[in-house]
Amino acid sequence: MKATSRSDLLAWLDALSEQYTVIAPRMVDGELLYRPVHASDEVVLDFERTRLSAKSYLLPETEVILEIERQEGQVTLGEPRLDRDQVILLRPCDARALRALDALLLDRPPADAYYADRREKTSLIGLACPQLWDDCFCTSLGSAPDDASAVDVMVYKDGDAHLVEVITGKGRALMDGLEAEEVERPTPHSDRSGEQIAVLAPEDWPGLFDEAYWHQLAERCLSCHACTYVCPTCRCFDVRDDTTAAGASYTHIQRLRAWDSCMASAYRRIAGGHNPRPDKAQRLRNRYYCKFCYSPSDFGAVACVGCGRCIEVCPVGVDIAEMLANVAALAKGRSA
Amino acid sequence: MSREIQEGIRVQARELLGLGEISCVIGYEQGPKGRVRPAFVYDQAGTDRLVWDQTCHHNLVVYLHDRRKGGKTSAASRVAVVARPCDVRALNVLIHEGQVSREEVFVIGVACPGMAEGATLQAHCQRCRERVPVFYDALVGEPARVKLPADDWSDVAELEGMTPAERLAFWSREFDRCIRCYACRQACPGCYCFECLAEQVDPAWVSIAHGLSQKAFFHVMRAYHLAGRCVECQACDQACPMHIPLSLLNRKIAKEVEALFNYKAGGDPEIPPPLATFLKDEELPL
Amino acid sequence: MTESFEPRIVGFLCNWCSYAGADMAGTSRIAYPPNIRIVRVPCSGRVDPLFVLKAFQEGADGVLVAGCHPGDCHYGDGNYHARRRYALMHSLLDYVGVDAGRLRIDWVSAAEGNRFAQVVAELTEQVRELGPWAGRQEREVAA
Repeated sequence: MKATSRSDLLAWLDALSEQYTVIAPRMVDGELLYRPVHASDEVVLDFERTRLSAKSYLLPETEVILEIERQEGQVTLGEPRLDRDQVILLRPCDARALRALDALLLDRPPADAYYADRREKTSLIGLACPQLWDDCFCTSLGSAPDDASAVDVMVYKDGDAHLVEVITGKGRALMDGLEAEEVERPTPHSDRSGEQIAVLAPEDWPGLFDEAYWHQLAERCLSCHACTYVCPTCRCFDVRDDTTAAGASYTHIQRLRAWDSCMASAYRRIAGGHNPRPDKAQRLRNRYYCKFCYSPSDFGAVACVGCGRCIEVCPVGVDIAEMLANVAALAKGRSA
Repeated sequence: MSREIQEGIRVQARELLGLGEISCVIGYEQGPKGRVRPAFVYDQAGTDRLVWDQTCHHNLVVYLHDRRKGGKTSAASRVAVVARPCDVRALNVLIHEGQVSREEVFVIGVACPGMAEGATLQAHCQRCRERVPVFYDALVGEPARVKLPADDWSDVAELEGMTPAERLAFWSREFDRCIRCYACRQACPGCYCFECLAEQVDPAWVSIAHGLSQKAFFHVMRAYHLAGRCVECQACDQACPMHIPLSLLNRKIAKEVEALFNYKAGGDPEIPPPLATFLKDEELPL
Repeated sequence: MTESFEPRIVGFLCNWCSYAGADMAGTSRIAYPPNIRIVRVPCSGRVDPLFVLKAFQEGADGVLVAGCHPGDCHYGDGNYHARRRYALMHSLLDYVGVDAGRLRIDWVSAAEGNRFAQVVAELTEQVRELGPWAGRQEREVAA
């Protein structure tokens, strides 16, 4: 464990930015977002949660996954790669969320080459939360505001100063530029108090699939994509060949991968126009089943970290924590 | 004031559901964390859930779209909807455009004191010229005896005062934050297309790329499609998770429609919408 | 702006009047700037404002929408509708930062070859003075 002052911590980020792209919370036109920082005085260290997660630095909103150059009958293919290693300062839940992305995109061969490239070139510095914020429920999902299990380095707040703990070898490689004093201190603990929500095990979900509750829950849903786009674990994408995006033309075709949302009515539409999930209740149900049933049973990771963002941004108050509690009660009612 | 309205809504809802003429009352309830949200009440017992305060900013008329789309609320004949004056204007637009029939909706009109954040009325409520809905089947609350200010369009004028380059910079910065969640569109009572141009595949007007120009294209086009139809309820602003001032865009169109065609959206059904008609001899700035 | 800047202008011309007017300019050997790329449409009323926006998005520096003179529409009233639409579109585009001078709506009959050339020349010069349109798509993709 190392102890360091706030100014030394920021100086460390400046030092890191010589070798890495440093991505950290900063204010962008009134919103707190994870964004590349140019100087450490832009970095916001005391905050609750950023409006968006950090997933866009590993699975960008849009990325070119293939470039097709057509010239004089010749076709050449190019595969863009991230050209600079990156360091992301983020909340522990946002780091933990990457496990759900790893489970789908990395762990089982064949790995997604673009994601794997970014993941390998990314180091994570966790900024422990001192407590659970409004809408947070990470402790109900086996985590905690100071969960260091998914980061390379963990930073805890210690009065006006900070404690820095190296978690992985990747993290150790970042430590050179940090002015800090080695101290013998136990790992600090955050305040974990907050409502505990019972989360059903994956095998308990299929029996509830036909409950009327899903229609009741979805009635207010507007079918916008806000929850899926702010979610740190939602990872669905669409792929299209594009000749109209910037940098593309009829001789330079780009294959784009861009975020997509299962809340959209067109998401599941197939050739010929059939749509197996035409109703918004089916779509909302699917989103939750994906997170708590399909993802853990198919890929081994629950795709929710309890960050509370979807609760915060939903324009009509659809609340995933309320849903979990209601579903647990439904299951209990059935077994009784 | 809010208490009276809340009580009025509950009384109306109880009565309507008791008579059995209405299958569902769409109103507001308090969510688990204290935020007000839309509520769907199907029986008298549920009417105690209904609340009203000055944070009830959702335009509930948007849920009438679901009836067209075969959603849950279409199951039974008639629904009641709690509607503020701006919501009723939106309903009026839907009725004119043949999307909803007047007979299938019971309007619990609210004599609206305006929406507020803390003690301050929201901007669109400060300039609201209509504190009682243009029509209703029942009215709750007492119309506030306040002098209604004229809309001076000062917010729009501020942007108009800039140079084109400054305006481009302004909107680029705002649209750059857009995450393409389409919450603005989904919360908008005027946006009811089965397939939005933003999702059309052939032709693909908007690329799947989350780029600035795609976002700007979408927002400008949406604003244009709301010409003579935007009722200034500000549901889009309220829904936007990135706080993009979308109504500032829509209001420019509303201002021009009023200036050029002397037309206000959601008003008199006898007046044809401005883009569905023309005058042969009109002089327009081209 | 730069000396070498040549504006790219997209012209949506109605089949019955303005396209024929352009033809007239051609067959009469009237010179006009080659900056315009013409898209023939059945009627100015067919020119969805979407087309104009798309043209600006994909790199047009200026757009011309031209149709029959009011009263002369082949279909009766297409140009009356276009007139209303573009009166609005003009102010909306200006409001989001597309200089009003980049979009021109005009009426050119099949006999007005001279007028067509003049409209194109005026628009081209106007757009040349405004410079390249800065709002076209850029930095779309995190590569």
